[in-house]
Amino acid sequence: MKGALKVFNELKREGLIKDYAIGGAIAALKWTEPFFTQDLDIFIILEKPTDGSKLIVLTPIYEYLKSKGYEWKGHWIVIDGVPVDIFPADPLEREAVEGAEETEYEGVRTKVITPEYLIALFLRTGRKKDRIKIDLLLEQSRIDSKKLEKILSKYQLSEKFRIFKEKHDGV
Amino acid sequence: MECNQKIVIGERILTREDLYREEEELRRERARLSFEEKIKILVGLQKLAYSWGKKGDVIIWKI
Repeated sequence: MKGALKVFNELKREGLIKDYAIGGAIAALKWTEPFFTQDLDIFIILEKPTDGSKLIVLTPIYEYLKSKGYEWKGHWIVIDGVPVDIFPADPLEREAVEGAEETEYEGVRTKVITPEYLIALFLRTGRKKDRIKIDLLLEQSRIDSKKLEKILSKYQLSEKFRIFKEKHDGV
Repeated sequence: MECNQKIVIGERILTREDLYREEEELRRERARLSFEEKIKILVGLQKLAYSWGKKGDVIIWKI
């Protein structure tokens, strides 16, 4: 994983991306007990704003990675044995990347999306595996409830969360 | 009847509730492991899924 993170730091240095953060299951795993997953989700903020654009061009990034010899396996790019999914950030994800926690993984600087934003993102996708991760985050990580409420309200996810809690808590 | 059942582990006598409580505590402890430790455990899980789960398509991360 260290190799993959180094590559994203390099993309940042080269000016191909403005910023990035680890999201998805690996980010959740930073805050909870370990669980099985296969891919590393990386949310990127492109140098040029993509808001409102119907087409997001990732070709320069893909070309750059390809030129470095990394192979594509379906929708993943495999970097040093780790399958990576790259997501260009939408407004919620952008905010999550900007507010992500700076950390180190085996001496490599990186950013990890915080539990509050992860809950919002998992809630939005809402698959069974996402709901399980919300459960884990609520049980095992420190949640800033006010921050969570603010995010959920801003992105119209409060009602979805209320329904989730109702089912989860059985009230 | 079942509720009063006790479980003996070595010199400790536990109720089923004690066991569940300890399990929860263990899960919380695992949640406090370092990121690096958790990734090592994840790779272990990937190996397990690959061999025991006979999931040949599982990619085992190189870390």
